[in-house]
Amino acid sequence: MEVIVSGLDLNAAAVLPEGAVLLALLGCLLVDLAGEKVAARWVPTMACSGLLLSLALLIGQWNSTPEPSFLGAFIADNLAVALRAVVSLSTLLSLLISWRYVERSGTPVGEYSAILLAASLGAMLLCGATDLVSIFIALETLSVSSYLLAGYMKRDARSSEASLKFLLVGSAAAAVFLYGASLLYGITAGDTSLAAVAGALAGAETPVAALALIFLLAAVGFKIAAVPFHQWTPDVYEGSPTPVVAFLSVGSKTAGFALALRLLVGCFGSFDVQWKLLFTVLAILSMTLGNVVALAQTSMKRMLAYSSIAQAGFVMIGLVCADAVGFSAMVLYLAAYLFMNLGAFACIILFSLRTGSDRISDYAGLYQKDPLITLGLSLCLLSLGGIPPMLGFFGKIYLFYAGWASGEYLLVVVGLITSVISIYYYISVIKMMVVKEPREASEVVQNYPEIRWNITGLPALRGALVFCVAITAIGGILSNPLFRLADQTVQGTPILQQLVASSHSLLTTG
Amino acid sequence: MTIAVSTQLICFLALSATLLIGALGVVLLPNIVYAAFLLGGVFLSMAGLYLLLNASFVAAAQVLIYVGAVNVLILFAIMLVNKREPLRDMPGLLLRRLLSAAVCAGLLALLLRVALTMPWPTPGPASIGEGAVVRIAEHFFSDYLLPFELASVLLLMAMIGAIVLARRDVMNVDVVTGEPADQGLLEKARTPLLLSKDNPRP
Amino acid sequence: MNEIPLQAYLCLAALLFCIGVWGLINSRNAVRVLMSIELMLNAVNLNLMAFSSYLDGAEVRGQVFTVFVITVAAAEAAVGLAILLSLYRNRNTVDMEQFNLLRW
Repeated sequence: MEVIVSGLDLNAAAVLPEGAVLLALLGCLLVDLAGEKVAARWVPTMACSGLLLSLALLIGQWNSTPEPSFLGAFIADNLAVALRAVVSLSTLLSLLISWRYVERSGTPVGEYSAILLAASLGAMLLCGATDLVSIFIALETLSVSSYLLAGYMKRDARSSEASLKFLLVGSAAAAVFLYGASLLYGITAGDTSLAAVAGALAGAETPVAALALIFLLAAVGFKIAAVPFHQWTPDVYEGSPTPVVAFLSVGSKTAGFALALRLLVGCFGSFDVQWKLLFTVLAILSMTLGNVVALAQTSMKRMLAYSSIAQAGFVMIGLVCADAVGFSAMVLYLAAYLFMNLGAFACIILFSLRTGSDRISDYAGLYQKDPLITLGLSLCLLSLGGIPPMLGFFGKIYLFYAGWASGEYLLVVVGLITSVISIYYYISVIKMMVVKEPREASEVVQNYPEIRWNITGLPALRGALVFCVAITAIGGILSNPLFRLADQTVQGTPILQQLVASSHSLLTTG
Repeated sequence: MTIAVSTQLICFLALSATLLIGALGVVLLPNIVYAAFLLGGVFLSMAGLYLLLNASFVAAAQVLIYVGAVNVLILFAIMLVNKREPLRDMPGLLLRRLLSAAVCAGLLALLLRVALTMPWPTPGPASIGEGAVVRIAEHFFSDYLLPFELASVLLLMAMIGAIVLARRDVMNVDVVTGEPADQGLLEKARTPLLLSKDNPRP
Repeated sequence: MNEIPLQAYLCLAALLFCIGVWGLINSRNAVRVLMSIELMLNAVNLNLMAFSSYLDGAEVRGQVFTVFVITVAAAEAAVGLAILLSLYRNRNTVDMEQFNLLRW
């Protein structure tokens, strides 16, 4: 026993950013004891400063030599740092845009912030976890917090219903994931670290590995909402509080992609033909179904739900390529998606704060009354559709380039066709807002309230909105540093480097 | 066959029988209270199987947490929501059940095939028996320290969240402006809900 | 020492898992769906414990994993029942077929 204790080098500095989030979480709970009025004023400020601190600490970890910490349970390589930064930033922005929303609905903001921070904590640890047990606990922290957030508007039957459906589907996915993990534990004869699993799988029988792969993929597919594991998405997105949807569609999805990379590249590397085929199918289904069904939606939240399914399909193109360009395109697109999607959600939340509606037809003629929402939403939707010169265009073109370069022609063609479909429904929303004559404006817009910014929480919402829209609009023109960061992410990640190197050697020998 | 071996075999068979019968009861019995009690039986026989597998600590944890906490919680929930509701008939229910049974049988065949054909690397190292408790503790504070600490956050959040969602008292005002609020989504539903005024509760 | 083959435990776990899956799909009472999920988690635990005893007798990592699964299952059950309670207050039913405010 002494041997174990003396040989203990935890390298715990790797989780300092999570420590900042945890500190903010505890602070929120303590401040919340001082009463609702104090909490309403100070808790979001405190949570945001914790998240900013964690972002600063993450910047400090960039490009450091990755060493396993917690005896192999966690690694802070560049992939983990980049995706944790995306998660942390998405939590920060969704907290800023939810401040006013939560108070307007009369729900306690202290617990809300604490649960959101816990979700972020789970998602951040999931990005770097390299052990089946750590992955499971991080996944469940994220999931349980997400269920709670989805049902947070507890007097609303839709919110409770969304939460229950989310919980039942999510727990079933977790159980299936665990069954796969238990098979992997058996294959390795008693080890749970991903490296050991990868070693054991390299010489394993096909049926058991294929079964474990499918079982683990079910959990990944659930988190990234890939078709056919997407059924929960539209319901949960429609019934949950809008700021929670913003977090789920960016933060939770990013963590899901991190999990996919860790499991598939770090663990199922010797089965790459199988998982590439599976993900090709998932990507084609997601892009097609997401974009086609989004056409028919009348609710803004539901439309964005289907569009987020489709966007996940685009990101999967990078995963299927499984080379340096593909991975860096993936990271770049996830970062771009953070800004454009959260910008769109900030506009939608501002609209529903003022009008209490999220129907697309209610946006008719909005440019007369609220130019800020109209401009912001238009820019973000154009970016989501991939119109130059927005950030989303460069992200998407990089993904398609990566796919074409590695010979995934089918995926690229499907991606291009469905992009055109997506542009149609994004533009129709913009057309609704901009083109209508004043007398054609919807009833809601005709009774539009006077614009006020002097209520607690609204300036934060405006700040987040302007920030996201600005990055979306000018990020495209100044996207060179982003490309460089995405490339460095791949270079600073050992597991991705190994895969890239092995495929290169295959190319040169074959 | 020695007495020890045959005892072990008999215990295994009896425990698996109660486990499977209990599990079938949980999903098939029409009365939900009986199902909940049978679930307790499933948890207990599971603890017995753990004892057969030389894991007394986990067996104790199973009894304490599953039987003592989860099962009691489920019974409480049943009591709190115990409205006898005649379930409305669904067309094609039987067909759906049979179809899903076929799917589950297929899954079972797949799982059994994997379990039986895979050459598991038995026998592994000899069991450390009661030393397992010490070893588990060592794992918690060495290589599983991170999940161990994170699990405490998870439990704290589950507790706080469950209290927030389940408690009745609600503040009905927006604390900043003092306007009335209803703890619902800001986007009010426009389509008539099942429980709206024209369609009162059944 | 152990005369029962490992495969017996694995088959038992597979059976239990499939019963859980069937219950998950077919239960109309939301509480029963939660119970089916508990059955599935228990099947996983049995798998882990069997592997831990037969293949990993010295390090017993499977037992550690099982303890984590039990912890999470308890947290999930508590959250699930709280959500169910808040939904019951809004809708006055636990019939899964009537939870259709949102289109599937």
